[in-house]
Amino acid sequence: MSTVEHVQTPMVVARDRDNVVVGDEIVRHRYATRLIHWSVAITFFIALFSGMPIWTPIFGWMAYLVGGLELARVIHPYAGVAFFIASIFQFVHWLPDMHLHEDQKGWLGRRAFSYMRWEHVEESGKYNGGQILFFWAVNLGALGFLLSGIPMWFPLRFPVWLREICIWIHDITFICFLVGVVGHIYLGTAAEPGTFRAMTRGTVSRRWARFHHPAWYRQVTGEEKKK
Amino acid sequence: MSEQALEIRRSSAAVWGSKTGIRKSETVSKYIDTTTCIGCKACEAACQEWNDLKTVATHQEGSYQTLPELDAEFWNLIRFKERTTDDGGPMWLMRKDQCMHCAEPGCLAACPAPGAIVQYDNGIVDVNPSACIGCGYCSTGCPFDVPKFSKATGKMAKCTLCVDRVEVGLEPACIKACPTGCLQFGTKEEMVRLGNVRVAQLQSNGFKDAMLYDPAGVNGTGVVTILGHGHPEWYDLPVNPHVPIGVRVWKSVIRPLGVIAAAAAILGSFVHFTAYGPKEPPGGGDGRES
Repeated sequence: MSTVEHVQTPMVVARDRDNVVVGDEIVRHRYATRLIHWSVAITFFIALFSGMPIWTPIFGWMAYLVGGLELARVIHPYAGVAFFIASIFQFVHWLPDMHLHEDQKGWLGRRAFSYMRWEHVEESGKYNGGQILFFWAVNLGALGFLLSGIPMWFPLRFPVWLREICIWIHDITFICFLVGVVGHIYLGTAAEPGTFRAMTRGTVSRRWARFHHPAWYRQVTGEEKKK
Repeated sequence: MSEQALEIRRSSAAVWGSKTGIRKSETVSKYIDTTTCIGCKACEAACQEWNDLKTVATHQEGSYQTLPELDAEFWNLIRFKERTTDDGGPMWLMRKDQCMHCAEPGCLAACPAPGAIVQYDNGIVDVNPSACIGCGYCSTGCPFDVPKFSKATGKMAKCTLCVDRVEVGLEPACIKACPTGCLQFGTKEEMVRLGNVRVAQLQSNGFKDAMLYDPAGVNGTGVVTILGHGHPEWYDLPVNPHVPIGVRVWKSVIRPLGVIAAAAAILGSFVHFTAYGPKEPPGGGDGRES
């Protein structure tokens, strides 16, 4: 009789633990984290594909992806509510890691551009200043979408002036959100190779961690800072 | 909505021009003289009958008015207003309320569904239920609060100016039914001329505030109304109606800026990548040991 050996591969570890080293890899996002992230992402894209054709006819073709414009109008608010609920989980889940430290305030000023030109690499913990600011921006955006979306969902029950304001808030929030998401996807894929795996398999390589998040790397591995 | 029989001047959510055909039609208009309206409601009945609208249960609200508001099943409403004149006498005002068929329709500007609201070349503004998605944006865009949501169809509904009659050379049902001649129908030019004559007559008869209501804020309406006492607000009409500024800015500023911003973000990512390339650890690659 043979027994099944339980192998601690990185992905197996990454199901329920993060911030641990497994061989050459480090678990960055455990399964719960990834599940929450993708719940937010998928509900966002359903809301996007059902919302953009209503926003402007230039993106009318997107309505076909959700079954037509009438259906888009029906799906959009529900996808939006699902997005908001997923965002609440995301907010609560990530919040402990998302306090902007004093030495990360540079991200709020001109220094952010220098980070984005790869001229400086922040001595970053698990999340760098840009990621932390993005976290707050998306959660604020989710709230803005929900609050402005309710009068747009049931327009005939609200006064016209409120509907106008809500349409503006919804639009402006969306424009900022879309620009942010484009940047987020770019940075998570092409711009920083090795990053996307953190959201698929949950792991990153040691070298990736040492380079992009040195303080986190030292914390996880227990290595001393090189002089 | 009658398909394709009339040329289209403007269509909702059109990406690039929506005008069809080369035939030029005269802009038509209703003429409503509130000073000779006797409140008989024949127009209401004719409208219900011609358009095959369901009978809506009325409720008594202490006036002769059939319903407090227009309804998805009630497109023509005589509004009754009581006021006291300056010398203490009674004033009983009646006005026929319906879609005003604005030359600059706020409903059409706000509508996100291609072709759900059209303005024919003759100026009639019409809802096309087969394209309507029932979102209610038109109600936000309308300065007269006319389009109503029909629970039965999930679409918006309003007066069509009897486009199905007009296109075959008949006057709208309400005009046809009016026993006093306070309702007339014809070209806009003709109706405005008639209105001006009537206003001058009223003014010389002591109604010094008499006016022709054809508001410039929406570029004039396809319904011109004689108000014997002036003061549109006495008749439940907005004094200076216009397409809500919020709707204008949303459609003509925020939306194009948004499209540009979205394109710029995508393009910007490509530019950034070509300028700075990927951010890689020393030695290159994605950091995985080979």
